[in-house]
Amino acid sequence: MVLTGGVKRRQLLGAAAGTAVGVSAVAGCGLFDEDSDPAPQPDALQPVLDQALRLASAYDRAIVAEPDLRDRLSPLADDHRAHAAELAGVIGVALPSAAPSEPPGDAQSVASLRKAEQAAQKTATAACRTAPADRAALTGSIAAARAAHAEALR
Amino acid sequence: MNAQLAAALAAEEAAIYAYGVLGVKLTRDSDLTEARASEATHRDRRDVLVSKLAAVQASAAPAPAGYELPFAVTDRKSALKLAIQVEDRVAQAWRAVLPVTEGGDRSTALSALTDAAVRAARWRRRGSVTPATLAWPGRP
Repeated sequence: MVLTGGVKRRQLLGAAAGTAVGVSAVAGCGLFDEDSDPAPQPDALQPVLDQALRLASAYDRAIVAEPDLRDRLSPLADDHRAHAAELAGVIGVALPSAAPSEPPGDAQSVASLRKAEQAAQKTATAACRTAPADRAALTGSIAAARAAHAEALR
Repeated sequence: MNAQLAAALAAEEAAIYAYGVLGVKLTRDSDLTEARASEATHRDRRDVLVSKLAAVQASAAPAPAGYELPFAVTDRKSALKLAIQVEDRVAQAWRAVLPVTEGGDRSTALSALTDAAVRAARWRRRGSVTPATLAWPGRP
């Protein structure tokens, strides 16, 4: 009983936080300032942005390891950077100058890139399904692009 | 929502027509298999849209008897070019459905957008068009 109530309360807070973030992004003022009890919810698109940056750097490393793949892979890396730039704009965060660090030395084969694209497609698909109307097309295109990337790597 | 669904229906009808025309010019078996599978998918999506529009009692414009192709399909190269173009158009039409739907209907639209983007990539690869992918599938 108590646990259920707690979960429900958290869900409500989460939902309210999501709404407040959306409103404040439009209005440009911090609705959260007076009620910052729970840590601010990360934007629902943050995981999509993080993956775009990780994928772009994974492609970069694959190209360094195998320069012959540059023509084939660099357009895909560019797509991810374009996604990241637009997502950062929509979320309202600055794009990090360096991509999130990966464990060094992991081999980025075309097959592993393809797997990463498929996983990233799932994230973007989930984000699209629950996105508010004004983010649906953005996340939908990113999901479709990731699926097309995976196809291009076959 | 109905206007976007009707536009998606028009794009699917145009795709079905285009595959009928371009299939004749595809000489490789693997191209033909792919074209037939694509056409079947577009027929399924068309049927879903027709049911959906009937359910909301929206009147969709009847499909025209013929379509003006954007260019003449004379050989494999122009056939592949048309296949790429119709998939890009289908992707655009379905992308426009996303903001006006929720839940299962949005998932259907997203599947259709994703599938069109994947097929477009496949046709680009077959036609040796680089890059094989677009940064923003469906964005006009």
